[in-house]
Amino acid sequence: MKHLKPINRKAAQVEQGAEAGTSGEVRVMQVVSGCTSTLDPGWEVDPFGGIAALCQPVEADLYGCSDPCWWPVQVPDTINTHPDWSAEVPSAPRDWRKLQSVYRKK
Amino acid sequence: MTSKSFVAALLALAAFAFQPATASGKEYILTSTKPNTLVLVDPAARKVARTYKIAGPGAPLGIAPSPDGRIAYVVTNHWGSVVGIDLDSGNEVFRADLSDGAIRARNMFGLEVSPDGKELFVMRSPVRLGQGEYEVQDVGIAVYRTDAGLKARPDRILPVPRRTTGLFMAPAGDKLYAVSWDIHTLDPKDGKVLKVDKVANWDRPNYGTPDVFGVWNQYEQAKMFVNPYFVARTDVAPTDPSAAKTGLLTLDFATGKVTMADFEDSAAIMFSSVVNPVRRNEVFSVYNTLTKTDIGTNRLVKRVTLPHTYYCLNISGDGKEVYVAGTVSDIGIYSTETLERIGEIRLPDDHDMGGTWIRMVQR
Repeated sequence: MKHLKPINRKAAQVEQGAEAGTSGEVRVMQVVSGCTSTLDPGWEVDPFGGIAALCQPVEADLYGCSDPCWWPVQVPDTINTHPDWSAEVPSAPRDWRKLQSVYRKK
Repeated sequence: MTSKSFVAALLALAAFAFQPATASGKEYILTSTKPNTLVLVDPAARKVARTYKIAGPGAPLGIAPSPDGRIAYVVTNHWGSVVGIDLDSGNEVFRADLSDGAIRARNMFGLEVSPDGKELFVMRSPVRLGQGEYEVQDVGIAVYRTDAGLKARPDRILPVPRRTTGLFMAPAGDKLYAVSWDIHTLDPKDGKVLKVDKVANWDRPNYGTPDVFGVWNQYEQAKMFVNPYFVARTDVAPTDPSAAKTGLLTLDFATGKVTMADFEDSAAIMFSSVVNPVRRNEVFSVYNTLTKTDIGTNRLVKRVTLPHTYYCLNISGDGKEVYVAGTVSDIGIYSTETLERIGEIRLPDDHDMGGTWIRMVQR
């Protein structure tokens, strides 16, 4: 973890778990097993260091990422907390401007 | 024509008119779009044959047709329910809500129907809802009788490893394959583990852990699961082009035989694959490219660029056409011989498919 710096409490716990050897269940990109348990760097660079192997266009990938909670930071969790996020937008390539940011309920 | 023979002819005509569509044996594609719409496609006519609006929120994910092609079992309700849609009447004839009280459960990909059509196997991941947290519960395969109606309850729960995403049955119905980091062959009656084939836990010298991403069930034509895997070699420098390898994992549903073999230095991402049921050495894999691989010789045959990303694919029963699907709103049709794009089917209103499945069904 020397290249990553935790910026919140949960991230610090992840780091501590890795250092203490108590995070043996964690592997990168095997299969998703629920919201927030996926560590899947993506949408930035592809495995080859470029962008050609990212989903093309990005709108094509929006619902493949939000519906399974694949990247619950980058796109809302539509399984649990924001089920209606895309309910009125059945075509992301056409209507992506209607998709809004979401905020934690107070 | 006498009146008696006229009546007989009318009766014969009526019998023909009301004959179940299964008798014709015509091949269709089953897939889905947002919002919550199941789509039946006639690939020969290159057009949508019918759509079915599913009640409630969400969008379909897993789709499993009954063996007689009359019912489609569909995961919906934000992956919290499985419904059975009668493809003739359009009516909902089966429904299982996976959550129960304080237990919120979701289906994460695994969905299969028994070969006799009597049972439905649903991968179930539950959590107990707390005041401000989820308490993770054991996962399992919920087994439903398909005649359980609209308030179906599991007949039994089979224990299975966490992270199981693929459920496939042997044609004889006597074995259930559960694909997670490894492949567990189970007795579908009681979940007894009959065999374990190592995948992520393989002990291949000079190789790291293979990375497998298999969340679709699209293997009904060849009755063989095939999935790309990506793995790093540990005996060469990471900067060496041969340090990352791509291979294909196969599981023959009839025999249970598992194979894993590399075919290239990693050069393209592939999300899912399908075996040609006619020439069973041919495998087609999809993502931003369509790749044809010979698993007899473990060689890349051809790769073409697609107009956009597709997640999943299936193949015609005669082995001549592959259908690429998922993400946005078209099914691309490609020749298995040349990988030329020979057709396209636009889905209604250009609505997105997302992560849905694409299944072939005989009706």
